[in-house]
Amino acid sequence: MDVLIQLVLNGILLGSMYAIISVGLTLIFGIVRVVNFAHGEFLMVGMYAAYLLAAKFGLHPYASAVPVVLLLFALGALVQRFIIQPLLSADEHIQIFATVGLSTALVNLALLLFGADLYSVPPSAAQGSVMVGGFSLVKGQIVMFVCALALVAGLHLFMQSTALGRAIRATAQNRNAALLMGVKVDQIYVIAFGMGAACVGLASALVMPLYPVTPTIGTYFVLTAFVVVVLGGMRSMYGAFFGAMIIGLVDSLSGYYIAPDLKEVVYFAIFLLILIFKPTGLFGLGRGTE
Amino acid sequence: MSLHDSSLKGSPTAPATMSRLALLSRLTDPRVYCALAALSLLVIIPAWSGSTFMVHVFVTICVFGALSTAWNILGGYAGQLSLGHTVFYGLGGYTAALLLTHFGLSPWIGMIGGAALAALVSLGIGYPCFRLRGPFFSLATIAFLEVVRLLAIHFNGLTGGSAGLVVPLQIGWPWMIFRDKINYLYIAFGLLVLSLAVSYAIRHSRLGYALTAVRERDSAAQAAGININGVKLWAMAISAALTALVGTFHAMYMTFLEPATLFSLATAIEIAMFALIGGLGTVAGPLLGTVLVVPLAELARGWLGASANGLHGFVYGSVLVIITLTLPGGLVGTFGPFVVRLIDRLPGGGRTRADVVAPATKIIAGTPGEVVLKAQNLVKRFGGLTATDNVSLTLKRGEILGVIGPNGAGKTTVFAQLSGFLTPNAGTIEILGPDGKWHQPSAPDAFARLGIGRTFQIVQPFGKLSVLENIMIGAFLRHRSVDDARAVALRVAKLMGLDDVKDVEAGTLPIGGLKRLEVARTLATEPSILLLDEVMAGQSQSDTLKMVELIRAIRDTGVTVIAIEHNMQAIMSLSDRIVVIDSGKVIAEGKPDAVVRERRVIEAYLGEDFVDAQGL
Repeated sequence: MDVLIQLVLNGILLGSMYAIISVGLTLIFGIVRVVNFAHGEFLMVGMYAAYLLAAKFGLHPYASAVPVVLLLFALGALVQRFIIQPLLSADEHIQIFATVGLSTALVNLALLLFGADLYSVPPSAAQGSVMVGGFSLVKGQIVMFVCALALVAGLHLFMQSTALGRAIRATAQNRNAALLMGVKVDQIYVIAFGMGAACVGLASALVMPLYPVTPTIGTYFVLTAFVVVVLGGMRSMYGAFFGAMIIGLVDSLSGYYIAPDLKEVVYFAIFLLILIFKPTGLFGLGRGTE
Repeated sequence: MSLHDSSLKGSPTAPATMSRLALLSRLTDPRVYCALAALSLLVIIPAWSGSTFMVHVFVTICVFGALSTAWNILGGYAGQLSLGHTVFYGLGGYTAALLLTHFGLSPWIGMIGGAALAALVSLGIGYPCFRLRGPFFSLATIAFLEVVRLLAIHFNGLTGGSAGLVVPLQIGWPWMIFRDKINYLYIAFGLLVLSLAVSYAIRHSRLGYALTAVRERDSAAQAAGININGVKLWAMAISAALTALVGTFHAMYMTFLEPATLFSLATAIEIAMFALIGGLGTVAGPLLGTVLVVPLAELARGWLGASANGLHGFVYGSVLVIITLTLPGGLVGTFGPFVVRLIDRLPGGGRTRADVVAPATKIIAGTPGEVVLKAQNLVKRFGGLTATDNVSLTLKRGEILGVIGPNGAGKTTVFAQLSGFLTPNAGTIEILGPDGKWHQPSAPDAFARLGIGRTFQIVQPFGKLSVLENIMIGAFLRHRSVDDARAVALRVAKLMGLDDVKDVEAGTLPIGGLKRLEVARTLATEPSILLLDEVMAGQSQSDTLKMVELIRAIRDTGVTVIAIEHNMQAIMSLSDRIVVIDSGKVIAEGKPDAVVRERRVIEAYLGEDFVDAQGL
């Protein structure tokens, strides 16, 4: 029983990392309606940035969250402005290829610059554990859990109660109607893409103390993030949050009860089943793949 | 699996025969001899240079060219962007390698086994995933690839797991392993030529047109009788089988198999990338993309060694982004027509195909006046709205039935049910087939095969195809060969006054032309019941008159016509019978002149107040 509770706690904490990444992916898909295949590479860029800040300036990764979030916001905004925006009315396959191309280029650029070696920041307290009621929890993961909650709550407040948030929601629901109401849709898209990338920036600063960075780290995380987003119903931030928790649990439980190297098979299987049989997501929060 | 039910084929046509002489005479066509000459360079250059490295580069070009060409059958022609195509490549490699290791079977046999297995697996992946739109299909294929890769690692007893599997080194043609590398090139080149030949044959066949139609607009493709999942599954199975053949060869060439290389996502993306760079959906594009990009990477690897790790991928990715932004049609899509014009200036070029126009279709057999369609108690609800409320209709052979009613009355919803695009919540639709039996089809393409032809109120052209090709897609329902379909399409184009614009891209037609194209595509399916949804809208006065005459002429060949129309003058003069629909119900039915005087009809159009004021 204790093992089960420990696994559930691990799962939820692991899920909070996926939540932060997936909320970003959902923002981009829900508002700009583009599936960002380069999302994982944004994470990779953020992690290298956090690593460099730690290595060159001795900045703790948590302190580097601020510059990394800003950097990623800028990266996202630039990608939207110069790659996605010109392709908004192009065929869907062209949009797919554009972000896939970006992803390939970024992975290989990292490979050119840093090689295939693992880089990690100096060990810090974040890797340590605390005992809570007899269960061991990794401190860095607790921080992530708190940040994930704060992020969703903050985005909820922003979307519901600011003028910009309302404009973003209007654009997400009906681009043309928003345009007719005087919303500067192109700007909204740039902001939304930037925000989606900024979420990944936050994630990378939080992940850096726990995982080493490699050029392909993004692929590892983003495939999971796609599973989460599909589970959560594609366009719902809240769906993405709960989807992430579920995938965290699946990861933790199937890694223990089935086989560590098959846990991904389990959640990819869930992913395919959801995509095919319940495209509105597990909670029916999204509008599915249509 | 047949694309269309051949038992329902309308007019039997002579099989297209191509004599050996005609095949030889095609060699004097510069398009053919230039292509063959360019292709042969892939063997001549490395054979002449004699360097092992050159041979390796060209083997790689042939392998990726073949993979990309095979991918293009699904990704380009059918528009289904698989980013997990290495599943089939890996299956081809592992099947042959395992059969060789455990049973001593020659990889040539393993190659066939791998291709068959890949085709089977592709159907298993395609069947559930084809309902997914654009990026979600791509994601699903990636997920399948990941699952297969992880399973290949997990079951290491069978596959050798991450540690890999070394192919038993038996040298010679039966084992597909050679000391002299040039032999590899011959096989790789053979596979490339095979892929290109299959791709070319599909592009110029009924399947190719059907795939393009499905990619461009699935609703109109269904209306033209295309089983959209059926044709996509064909494309996927063919593409997967070809990919597996290449996979077997490549595994034998590398003599070492590991899940990370055989089921690689990066390779899957590269295959798709080459096709886009060269030109999606073109025959030559994927190979051209490969020829331009692969040597770059291989040369960088050869000269700079490990220090250039990542360089080729960075170049690939950047080129891909630049191509999407500047040349979304790819190189062939953008420059192809220009190059073809240049090539046509060479000796023997510039020949045009003679336009063969099919004779008018024969008059439809059957007793005039017999019931050909029965719709009983149709009900269709959308949430709380009952769009079709207990509608019953019968159609008699050779009549023209007009359907009128105010906007939002539910006329088009009834049409959608009569053509299979919507399934009623209650009620039945029965159609008298050419076999004299009653049928209750369930999918739009089945309705089309039974002789229901429909037009769409909101026009649904295949925008990037020419007007003639649009019509040909309809004609393929009853005609298997391209030549026959073309002849029928030419006849219909003439009939509809579209022969002047037959080579124009359909998307550029004005609305009047598009409406006529709707009718033309539908007529080309040689329907016995024609459903016309507001085809007069957007037509000039004189075109409307022509359309009225044309509909009468169509009816005179025995076709039953049911038309929704807001042009009252036209529909009243045309129809034998009128049905009035309002709020989803049939409120009146009868001869045109009687119907227009009914109080309920005037109320429906003009409101009760008007009726009261007029004292009707």
